[in-house]
Amino acid sequence: MKNTQAALRRPHKKLSWRNYMKRYGTLYLLLLLPIIFFIIFRYLPMAYITMAFKQNNIIKPLFEVPWAKKHGMEWFIKAFKNRDFLFAIKNTVTLNLLDLVIGFPAPIMLALLLNELNHRSFKRITQTVIYLPHFLSWIIISGLALRLLAPTDGLINILLGKVGIAPIPFLNKPNWWTGTYVALGIWKEAGWNTIIYLAAITGISPELYEAAAVDGANRLQRIWHVTLPGLRPTIITLLIMNLGRILGSEFDRPYALSNKLVTSASNVISIFVYQNGIKGSQFSLTTAVGLFQSVIGVFFLLSANSLAKKFGERGVW
Amino acid sequence: MKRILAILLAVAMLLSLSILSATAEELVDGKFAETRKITVEIFDRSNDGGTDPTNNKFTDFIKAGMLEKHNVEVEFVRVPRWTEVDDMNNLLAAGDAPDVCVTYSYPTIQTYANMGGVIDMNPYLTEYKDLLPNLYALLGDYNIFYNQDPETGTVWAIEALLAERARINTFVRKDWLEKLNMAAPTTIEEFEAMLVAFRDNAELLLGADAAKMIPYTTSYDIGWRNDHLLCSFVPDAATDEELYINGFDDRHLLFPGYKEGVRVLNKWYNMDLIWKDFALYGSGDTTEDNNLKAGFVGAFTHNWDYPFRNGEDSIHANLKRNAGEGAAFIAVECFKNDAGAYRKFLADSIDRKVFFPATNDEPLASMLYVDFISSPEVIKYLQIGDEGVNHDVMENGAIATKAAVAPDIQNSGMNIDYTITINGLELFDAELTNKSKALNYAGVESEYVEMALTASKNEGRTVAHFNVGAITAEEGMGTSLTEKRDTFLCQAVVAAEADFDAIYDAGMEDYLASGGQDIIDERAEKIAALK
Repeated sequence: MKNTQAALRRPHKKLSWRNYMKRYGTLYLLLLLPIIFFIIFRYLPMAYITMAFKQNNIIKPLFEVPWAKKHGMEWFIKAFKNRDFLFAIKNTVTLNLLDLVIGFPAPIMLALLLNELNHRSFKRITQTVIYLPHFLSWIIISGLALRLLAPTDGLINILLGKVGIAPIPFLNKPNWWTGTYVALGIWKEAGWNTIIYLAAITGISPELYEAAAVDGANRLQRIWHVTLPGLRPTIITLLIMNLGRILGSEFDRPYALSNKLVTSASNVISIFVYQNGIKGSQFSLTTAVGLFQSVIGVFFLLSANSLAKKFGERGVW
Repeated sequence: MKRILAILLAVAMLLSLSILSATAEELVDGKFAETRKITVEIFDRSNDGGTDPTNNKFTDFIKAGMLEKHNVEVEFVRVPRWTEVDDMNNLLAAGDAPDVCVTYSYPTIQTYANMGGVIDMNPYLTEYKDLLPNLYALLGDYNIFYNQDPETGTVWAIEALLAERARINTFVRKDWLEKLNMAAPTTIEEFEAMLVAFRDNAELLLGADAAKMIPYTTSYDIGWRNDHLLCSFVPDAATDEELYINGFDDRHLLFPGYKEGVRVLNKWYNMDLIWKDFALYGSGDTTEDNNLKAGFVGAFTHNWDYPFRNGEDSIHANLKRNAGEGAAFIAVECFKNDAGAYRKFLADSIDRKVFFPATNDEPLASMLYVDFISSPEVIKYLQIGDEGVNHDVMENGAIATKAAVAPDIQNSGMNIDYTITINGLELFDAELTNKSKALNYAGVESEYVEMALTASKNEGRTVAHFNVGAITAEEGMGTSLTEKRDTFLCQAVVAAEADFDAIYDAGMEDYLASGGQDIIDERAEKIAALK
């Protein structure tokens, strides 16, 4: 025990450049491919962020396109004067916050429950079943939702009608729709998201549980005082990542689930970008919107990270 | 300075002419010395039992014809029919658009033209007029130069000919009327009474399926799917100019009186006369068609020949199978305007727009393609196919369409997707065309088609076209305004009656504030300048 610890602490002997490359060269070679990927597909396209400050033209080569009016800020000004965009921000934040408040704790609870299951094969089967929805696309889920939840033809409302309950507007009243949106999100992803927590739980030393049991802690107390603290770094990390996405928005989920009656709740930024940019060919305007979205996202990410560090957690980096 | 500019312009003109003539010289008897290759857009309808729209007996016919006549190889590129505008946008943005493009959306073409993404067809149309006899004969200057800019002379797209001006119809279930001992409605009051009767007699009409009764069905596209009702509220005295100024929206949303039409729909919705779930389903969804085919629906408004389309899979054929031999939808006229006329707005004689993106390296070969596809023999063959397979010849010479299956099936009625310069039957013999029109729908009794054709055009009105050039305010607005229109119309229809005004007015205000008013103002300005 002592020996290995000493070995770990022993500082690396300085290798000469040649020896270093000889030893680790292949690793760097392996790294080359992903780096090239990131350069070509992630960094070079960033040049097109300048579209946000240029006139709307995607036919001419980028450097030939003149700058936009108002010192290049035309599209940002237009975006913030556009009420659809302001509504989209509101809806994006609302839906994401609801997802965070209701959707974020769901997999944690589910993971705790799964962890407490004693029957091995039952646990396995349950896990597999709750992972399944993750592999369905939102298009399929929206189809299912329509068949199940439509006011007159939906199975659930037909059944409710049979016992004398008036149809519930799951999909056609904005407030109900928001609930359906969040619930379906949990249904689809909660199971899958337990994986990371279950993995973290296995990392908790059994000795702690044994010690707690010796001290007379019951099940709930063990969860509260051992499992949850053990999960804390994972929870914080995921929370930070989620906060970074507070203004980001999925496209397929709100787009597939929405309809003309609930646009006041379902039109999020990504749908705004799709309607105006891809369908309406206003590429500069929507690039500006995308840039704004990213900047806010980065801001949230950084502040959440530093907050986490302030409270003594490790943060993401 | 002026002199330099003049010289520059002259040089530019010479250059462009020399580029043009360079391509022409390679033509011998309309044939290229060296084989050229072009790509052509084709709508994909993914119809049941259909063939690959890019490769079937009709594309083979076109390919062989183009190769023989002009030595041009043709390759077809599919674009899904119901999302064609979105897809066209993507293709143009990516620089992947086919050489010959077709779309229903002129604003899309205008937007890309402004970015330099579309070829000006004017020089080709004028320079090579002699090489394009079929195109000129079919479309005439009206359609070819319909979109010509009055100042610069540019032509970004030519307009296909709408040979059949009928647009839409209101259909009702003939067998239900008979069961209830009712005459076909001729006024809006009678129409409403009929819908009420359908609703109240669900047990009698549908038996065990009574709960599925839908007296009147519509879709999220309120404007199109109720146009005759909505436009019957437009005052007869509205002038062409007024209607042009308020004519940006192709569903006539901005026409005076429109709101009162929507109010009727709202009333009907609250009387449980309209399909409750209509707004939940998007474009291309088949739920509504299935309701129609199953026989649950009493009335609806749609394209003038909608129940008759698609041969064996038509609503008409399915209805007969599911609801009995006597079941059928007939076209009725019940919506009179303030002058007591069944006034409806007919389309101008324009249809799809054909254009060449800037990525087209073979504009001349593409132009020859447009000419080829406009020639009488080609149109005739594509529209009616082979005798005995796609059609029969009646005793009086009329052509009766037959339901064909793959590989002979026409993926679109009369192969409209291939005949990109014409929409509507044209056999180049007015009498024969008229005789054949009613026989154009396989398995549909001709009297139903005749009724529909008459009802759709009776007392119709076409708003005059004012060529004022591009309206800047319309640029890029088409899709977002269309979205707004559909959204607030749906919300207004399903609103409680007491909330109708508030919801409609808020929606309209938003529509106008988001660009609608600017368009109206610019149109008014440009029309004033014409005088």
